[in-house]
Amino acid sequence: MSLEKTTSHVKERFSEAVLDVTEFAGEQIVHIKSGSVFDVLKIFRDEGFNFLANLTAVDNLTLGGFERYSVVYHLLSHGSVERVTVKAYVAEDDPIIPSVENLWKTADWQEREVYDLFGITFEGHPNLVRIMNPEDYKGHPLRKDYPRKGKTERTDFPVVERGISKENKT
Amino acid sequence: MGKQDIKSNILTTTVESAINWGRKNSLWPMPFGTACCGIEFMAVLASRTDMSRFGAEAIRFSPRQSDLLIVAGRISIKMMPVLIRIYEQMPEPKWVISMGACASSGGVFDTYSVIQGIDQFIPVDVYVPGCPPRPEGVVGSLLKIQDLVDKEKLFDYTFSGSK
Ligand code: SF4
Repeated sequence: MSLEKTTSHVKERFSEAVLDVTEFAGEQIVHIKSGSVFDVLKIFRDEGFNFLANLTAVDNLTLGGFERYSVVYHLLSHGSVERVTVKAYVAEDDPIIPSVENLWKTADWQEREVYDLFGITFEGHPNLVRIMNPEDYKGHPLRKDYPRKGKTERTDFPVVERGISKENKT
Repeated sequence: MGKQDIKSNILTTTVESAINWGRKNSLWPMPFGTACCGIEFMAVLASRTDMSRFGAEAIRFSPRQSDLLIVAGRISIKMMPVLIRIYEQMPEPKWVISMGACASSGGVFDTYSVIQGIDQFIPVDVYVPGCPPRPEGVVGSLLKIQDLVDKEKLFDYTFSGSK
């Protein structure tokens, strides 16, 4: 099925959830509310978009948008060689979104990455733990209000002294 | 054996310089390559700049068999505990080369996740500037380490239990 048909299908069935449909650089972007992301993406998948090429997030703190965060899904149909971007908007005070790990296994690690770096919780994810940062890491460093140089994580290590005094070496 | 033979066959020296001479010409490097500098380090071992000419070709990926730690690449906050553990596992005496801008200062990566110079946490003997340093530069740092080994004093060594 073609992209046009699928988007109009989605718009029809989820008129509540679809915030906007825009086009940029020849590619279609469907903006939706986070609550119905699973159902919307399921339609896309069932109608030919079999491949989740990418899953990431954007902090709209300085960009403006429907909400503070958007989780971005780049879908590809191997059949019709069409691409579509779906952006789901997540509120700042309660960053929770349904997991799509059931639809594409690819989403597993990518959702963990978004969770690690943005602090967005994916409901229904089988193993939502940090994937990049150390397990005991605090905070979500890709949020725009996180200090670029970090807090104290760069300096929180024990200092190892020389085992042998080498004063004469300096 | 005549007197003449003794003269041309016996060399007198101190224990210290004999040990240091042996040590400096047979350093066993442990490469800790975490980024592009690690790739450049391979060139140091290849035919053109060949570190084996200076006796340091026995690369060991086990810290317990090495006495020269070569930190080649940026060290992330997740890697720093590993580096500290590896340094601590190396037997004394040991030396450390910090290869490249990243290991020495964090380089261009002034971010939350990159250590801004490993010398904040482990002792470093020689720094090699560059991004990445040329293989000749790394060989130069090896020669500097050899100079340091040569100046080593056996007095400095205390064995556990003795003071
Ligand atoms: S100093 Fe340059 S070459 Fe070396 S690890 Fe850093 S970025 Fe890579």
